[in-house]
Amino acid sequence: MTDVGVKITDPDRVGGFSWERLKTNRNWLSFWFMLPAAGFLILFLAYPLGLGIWLSFTDTRIGRAGQWIGLENYIWLWDDSVFWLSVFNTLLYTIVASAIKFGVGLYLALLLNMHMRFKAVIRALVLIPFIVPTVLSAIAFWWIFDTQFSILTWMLQEIGAIAPDYQINWLGDATLARASVIFANIWRGIPFIAITLLAGLQTVSISLYEAAVIDGATRWQMFRHITYPLLTPIIAVVMTFSVLFTFTDFQLIWVLTRGGPFNTTHLMATLSYQRAILGGYLGEGAAIATAMIPFLLAAIMFSWFGLQRRKWQHGEGND
Amino acid sequence: MTEVTQPAGQSDFREGMDFLDTRGQRLVILWLPLGIIMLVLLFPFYWMVLTSIKPDSALIDLESTNPLWTWNPTLKHIRILLFETAYPTWLWNTMMVAISATVLSLIASVGAAYAIVRIRYRGSQWIGAAIFLAYLVPPSILFIPLAKIVTDFGLFDTPFALILTYPTILIPFSTWLLMGYFKTIPFELEECALIDGASRWQILTKIILPLSIPGLISAFIFCFTLCWNEFIYALTFISNASNKTVPVAIVTNFTDGDVYRWGSIMAGALVGSLPLVILYAFFVEHYVAAMTGAVKE
Repeated sequence: MTDVGVKITDPDRVGGFSWERLKTNRNWLSFWFMLPAAGFLILFLAYPLGLGIWLSFTDTRIGRAGQWIGLENYIWLWDDSVFWLSVFNTLLYTIVASAIKFGVGLYLALLLNMHMRFKAVIRALVLIPFIVPTVLSAIAFWWIFDTQFSILTWMLQEIGAIAPDYQINWLGDATLARASVIFANIWRGIPFIAITLLAGLQTVSISLYEAAVIDGATRWQMFRHITYPLLTPIIAVVMTFSVLFTFTDFQLIWVLTRGGPFNTTHLMATLSYQRAILGGYLGEGAAIATAMIPFLLAAIMFSWFGLQRRKWQHGEGND
Repeated sequence: MTEVTQPAGQSDFREGMDFLDTRGQRLVILWLPLGIIMLVLLFPFYWMVLTSIKPDSALIDLESTNPLWTWNPTLKHIRILLFETAYPTWLWNTMMVAISATVLSLIASVGAAYAIVRIRYRGSQWIGAAIFLAYLVPPSILFIPLAKIVTDFGLFDTPFALILTYPTILIPFSTWLLMGYFKTIPFELEECALIDGASRWQILTKIILPLSIPGLISAFIFCFTLCWNEFIYALTFISNASNKTVPVAIVTNFTDGDVYRWGSIMAGALVGSLPLVILYAFFVEHYVAAMTGAVKE
């Protein structure tokens, strides 16, 4: 045992691999340590990921084993206008919501980074939308967007923006429904972005700003050439997560509109649930879910490399 | 654009330089925008609380009284919720599932994180990266095959369907978080223990774990929150009302289109959020550490 220990604690020798070492105790030891986590992740993550892709090439239904049908599900989806509508909706939802979440989230982070009274309390309150389960806050939004008794409509009536007897059909009109669900998503996502970016802001050394002030930099220049470049790595990570979870969102839509009116708020995730679980066509639903993977990879690549690249450029000119 | 970015630079002065601004300037660049954002962020909760204590008649009357306040609050909705519906059962189910899944995940994550950071076996770097990738696999693309797997294992409509699938969401996150904590523990402590003849298991339980209690608390409350929040698996794998969790039960068993239901629905949402809000109020710092820790790595 001591022998193993000496090997482990010698960092220089850790890097050297050989087949002989595979059989030493260290690997077996770590095998036992890794086993529970690996077991869960292989059985309930890696295996279903593969199974999902396989199911998308079959005509499996609930309660009936399927047969291999090749690309038939995908060919069917290719001609399905509802599927394409859901792709469009998902992209619209992700791009609009993520852009606004980023803008407002960064702005809020900068505000929270200022010196002020009650700082701790304000920060704690900001995170509340993130703490409360999404479904439960979505239900509050459902009530806020109610057709007859919407408080928003009432407020607009009170300030005279709309006629006193005019009712706004928040979730019944295609454009308004899209705007409403996007708003709810932004509302839910801002705290996470603001608080993580705030953590990044707090690591920026104040002496950099002092130097900039002495050099006569304007506030915009300080933000543009100090804050933003130093923040890009954390922005890359935060936005990758944000885009990913916005793209695959299910809860908000399911509570607020269930994809309606006329599928105009159906996202790919909600459509796959509807087809696979409610409709029973597991194969087709799995094909929709699998079709999300290329988009997800593209989104990860874009936000990761797109933002990461600027990290290397920091200190250089405009981009 | 300038209006947005002007305060941006300003904010970086923090203490020390903001005496340069007058009170009026601070009102416009800090308190006004912050106030508006906070108002929007908190209004839905105010509305949730208010709806759950308003009498029925006030809920659908926007003309004769001011809907933004109530002078005769009632606990009727909360009483109905707790004594005339299956809500306590759902609350209990959610609690059990969340605690079991979190404990399982933490046990698995401690082992994995320790092995990756400190035993550093062959290929541990790659396993670390693979676990991060697992973090990026969303439940929305896994629920269909998982529904099949859960049914094949005979777990459909049992709490085990959730207890065993939630760790796939939690383990990547908490492993990543704990790896960060374990890295900060000095190597020398372990060397001493090894020289004194301690086994790896003893080192883990007697040295590493006591030193990483803040990390464990962070991981625990964050995992617990994620479990409580989870919706799509619970919606798909559970069909019997008595096995449902709070979020699913409210959406599927509570909403029958009756306007007078709104008081109880909001009460349900409120009571369902309270445990997390209370937990959060006590552990704000741990919570923020968990959230930002996993991102900073």
